[in-house]
Amino acid sequence: MQGWVTLALLLSLGVKRSLGQNGLGELPVPRGLSLNPDLPAQTLSLTWQSDSSLFDLEIFHTELMNVVLNETLAVKADPITGLHSWIWHSPFPLECTSHSVRIRARNQQTLSQWSPLQTIPGSDIPEKSESYMFPQDKMVTVGSNMSFCCIVKEKQDFKEIMYRGQEMSATRLSRRTYAITVINLPASANTGTNVVCCSRLLTLTGAVVFVGYPPGDEGLVCETRDLASAECSWKKGRDTHLRIKRSRTKYTLNGRICRECLEGKTWCNSKVWEDNWTLVARNPLGTVQLTDSARLADRVHLLAPANVTAVEVKAWSATLQWSWSVAAYKKLEMVCQLQLFAHELSSTRNYSGPGLSSVVLEGLWPDVDYTVTLRCGAKHGFWKWGDESALYRIHTKMDRPDAPDVWIWMDSSNTGHVFWKPLSVRKSHGALDRYEVSQSSAEEDWGTPVFLPPGNFSYPIILNSSSDITVAVAARNPAGLSQPSTVTTPAYRADSQLSVSELLSTNGSFDLSWEPNANASKGYVVEWVPTCCTRLCSVDWKKVPESDSSFTVKSESLVAGERYTVSVYALSTGAPTLLQRWQGYSQEMIPSQPVSELSANQTGSVVLLSWKATEMKHQRGFIRGYTVYLANAAHLELIANISDPEVRSYRVKGLSLSLYKFVVKAYTSAGEDAGSTVAIKMEMDTADMLFIGILVPLGIMFCCLILISICCYKKREWVKKAFYPEIPGPKVPGDWSSPQGPLDVKPPPHSLVHIVESPEWDFTKEGLFPVPEEEEEAEDDNNEVDTDSDEPALLRYYNQVVGDGSHSNQVLDSSGSSTASVGSTQTEITYAGIQSPTSSQGACGGGGYRPQMQSGAGPAEPQNEFEADFQDDGLNTGYKPQCSWQLDSPEAENFSGSLGSPTSVTSSQFLIPESSEDKPQPSNTWFHNFLSGKS
Amino acid sequence: MAGRGTNGRHGLRGQARRTAALALLVHEECTQLLELYRNSESLPSSPVDGSYLVSIPPLVPQLSDAEKISLLHAALKECLRLLEDVITRQDADFSDEEDSEYRRKRKTVRDRLGHLLASTGQLLVDGQKFEAKVKEELDGQAASGSFGLKMWVVRVLQDLVHWTGQTSDTLRSLPAEMDKAPKTMSRRTRRGAGKIRK
Repeated sequence: MQGWVTLALLLSLGVKRSLGQNGLGELPVPRGLSLNPDLPAQTLSLTWQSDSSLFDLEIFHTELMNVVLNETLAVKADPITGLHSWIWHSPFPLECTSHSVRIRARNQQTLSQWSPLQTIPGSDIPEKSESYMFPQDKMVTVGSNMSFCCIVKEKQDFKEIMYRGQEMSATRLSRRTYAITVINLPASANTGTNVVCCSRLLTLTGAVVFVGYPPGDEGLVCETRDLASAECSWKKGRDTHLRIKRSRTKYTLNGRICRECLEGKTWCNSKVWEDNWTLVARNPLGTVQLTDSARLADRVHLLAPANVTAVEVKAWSATLQWSWSVAAYKKLEMVCQLQLFAHELSSTRNYSGPGLSSVVLEGLWPDVDYTVTLRCGAKHGFWKWGDESALYRIHTKMDRPDAPDVWIWMDSSNTGHVFWKPLSVRKSHGALDRYEVSQSSAEEDWGTPVFLPPGNFSYPIILNSSSDITVAVAARNPAGLSQPSTVTTPAYRADSQLSVSELLSTNGSFDLSWEPNANASKGYVVEWVPTCCTRLCSVDWKKVPESDSSFTVKSESLVAGERYTVSVYALSTGAPTLLQRWQGYSQEMIPSQPVSELSANQTGSVVLLSWKATEMKHQRGFIRGYTVYLANAAHLELIANISDPEVRSYRVKGLSLSLYKFVVKAYTSAGEDAGSTVAIKMEMDTADMLFIGILVPLGIMFCCLILISICCYKKREWVKKAFYPEIPGPKVPGDWSSPQGPLDVKPPPHSLVHIVESPEWDFTKEGLFPVPEEEEEAEDDNNEVDTDSDEPALLRYYNQVVGDGSHSNQVLDSSGSSTASVGSTQTEITYAGIQSPTSSQGACGGGGYRPQMQSGAGPAEPQNEFEADFQDDGLNTGYKPQCSWQLDSPEAENFSGSLGSPTSVTSSQFLIPESSEDKPQPSNTWFHNFLSGKS
Repeated sequence: MAGRGTNGRHGLRGQARRTAALALLVHEECTQLLELYRNSESLPSSPVDGSYLVSIPPLVPQLSDAEKISLLHAALKECLRLLEDVITRQDADFSDEEDSEYRRKRKTVRDRLGHLLASTGQLLVDGQKFEAKVKEELDGQAASGSFGLKMWVVRVLQDLVHWTGQTSDTLRSLPAEMDKAPKTMSRRTRRGAGKIRK
């Protein structure tokens, strides 16, 4: 069944469609299309007739036939007129160009033919050949979007459209029309915002747009000043930015034009009070309505009191009078507020009454300038204070001063000062003329007062007797003399006589409390004085009622870093009695000066540092101790912290010999002072010096001697052999005994051998020549022989001296030896008249000994030369040696080993030949032997 | 002639020099005033479409100096009237405008233009005066709204610049011929009056 129904529907639809396509039953074309433009609103109202209710609408820019709108509309006919109407809002002003409209009916898929085009002409038609811009003088709110069009004059080119001086992107709408759209318009300047259309050469046309805000006024309030009329005011809201006259905000109050507002005022008057008020503020961009409702009695705003005057002025009061400019005020129950200004202080007093016009000002102070201002308001239904009167000045009269606050401070047992505090304006009651000070004692009644100028606040007193003195101080001004203040001298008590407690401050103040005293019938006096003060001290005090036993000395009256002596006295009919005394600092600071007289004394490796305490006036706090530092190159090394301030010395131990710097700082609870520095160079003691300088070297020498002695003892055999060898008897064949010991030849003074140098000496001749004990001396420098000695030289004559190794070498060269012999001194020995040696070659011959002429070969005469000597022996006619040198051993070294061995004066042969066991050692190794222990 | 009677020949020449200097000064200030107005309104510097509002016969060489001065005097007179109109219209429409540099300069130009007018008036001979033609386009401009008014102000200021410049140029080229002015002046003035005077 359902399938048949569906098929029937499809068939019917297909039939209808085919009917439409075939033109059968075509919808009628809408008739009577008319266009009604609203140019300021940029709207186009369309009306037409048709039986349909669905239409297709097309709107064109006529010249270029650009489609502006193509929309299907469902518009029902008006039941009365039978007309269809629809309003189109154009994005551009309708004057910009011509618009054409056509419409057709639509019924489902069936369409009618388009209606004929209906056109509304724009301003760009040829009949209007001038330049134009639209819209003109439009007013819009800030943030709006707007489109402007420029119609260019015939035969003029188009260059640009500028908005606020900036070129905008333009769209062409027709042959002569160009348009721009500006979004989010900002507020205009005073004369609006200009949109200018230009050609390449000229400014063609333009428009002004005023961009602003609707009125923003608020807070309408109406009140009465004269209890009859109304004055309504409000606050102007934000700037509308609409300056042009026709766009300014216009106001009406309860329907009446506000005349005051035309002058820019924000208030409006009404002659009659109305309980309800409505203010309407309107400008081209919008309207705001403000309302206010109130009864007249609740909105009374009084005018200012007029003609304020002081009719009666006294020392402590004055009567003030004024008048009202509105008669109706006289019956109004009002409250008035009076403000008094004196010495930058102000006070407010309220008075009330019907039609208030005078008040009595009580509680004024004498001789004070007051400035008065007055304002009033309705007491019932108070709305606000009325206007203030003009300032009025009152000067009160003088009165006698109050009694000054007096105290005596004793600085010794018989001297002191009377102090009194300056009288404030409130207490002097007029400018003071003088102070009058008088005193009495048991012996003397009140005498003639001493007059002191008003700038004096102390007077010295001297106690001539043991009795107390009572001092009276009074102040005088033009109005009279004050009551005298009396005080009796308290007994002087030095700090040393009391147990002075240390007083700690609290936030810079001294909180004092003491045991109540039964004798304090007139209360107590708390006195505080700088402890270090000696003369003209700033004594301060405060009188405390007898009911109190505590007091706080405020920090304002104390100086930080100053030590104060605080005393509490009990006041009675007699002299004040000292109850308690403290010393303290309101705020401790670090000492202003370091410790003094810091010294360092060395005792051995200990340094004793000692110093003196900082003066009290420089302490600026209780000294809690001292710190001792060792100053290094860059920092201070703490070596001691002395927490007892009475200890003012310190021993630094275990110091080595060096330079030390010590810094000693005193510290308070606030910290350390800058510190004093002392330097000391550690030196040795005199005893040490003696010990090290004298005894030690002596000891070392002694030890060396002992060692040498021991060595010598242990090596005595060697020593003996080396230095004191036994001279063996000559070994001769046969029995030839000879005495032991060297054969020293000492020429007697009367038989000296005269040795004469003879350059012409025949070197072939052998002769005697002296041989020094020391081989080196003989070898190197024969001139070193002491020629000035008076003693006859002990001469040992060798005809040959065995040289050292070098000489041994020379021995191998016979020619060299010969040359050396030639080079050596040629000595001629004579045996007559030799007094003393005259030259190195000169040698004293043995007494009575007459050596034979012998070759003058030097001490290093080589062996070969000796052989030559033998060969030349035949030539010699003189002395023949007892035993010619025989080469016992082919080794030349054997000769050197016999150095120091006695030799025959007549022979170069050693007298004691070396045995096989006592093989001779090289002469240059004797010390080595000595050390090695060989003998 | 009134000026001559008191100043004499040398006095007239000096008066012409002073007037030329004043005309130059006013010309410069008018230029500044136009510039200030364009800047304050963000208007382009291109001239406004249309001819000068004030017109006089061309200052052809055939005219004597005195006639030229008379013509320029007439143009300046209309310029001053237009400037005062501008001030009136601007103050009426934008009375809330604060004291701006443009307003101060506008007042200065008005005052000095009055002095220039008086000064050129002293150079006139026999009290003969021409009248300039003025295109009263204000109403037409005003019809196009506030922008029309602004364009009219620009045109007035352009006229001020133009005619004060013309006056300055003319007066500065005068001194050599000032001595002959009386004769030619009276003759040509009478002859040309019928043509120019309205």
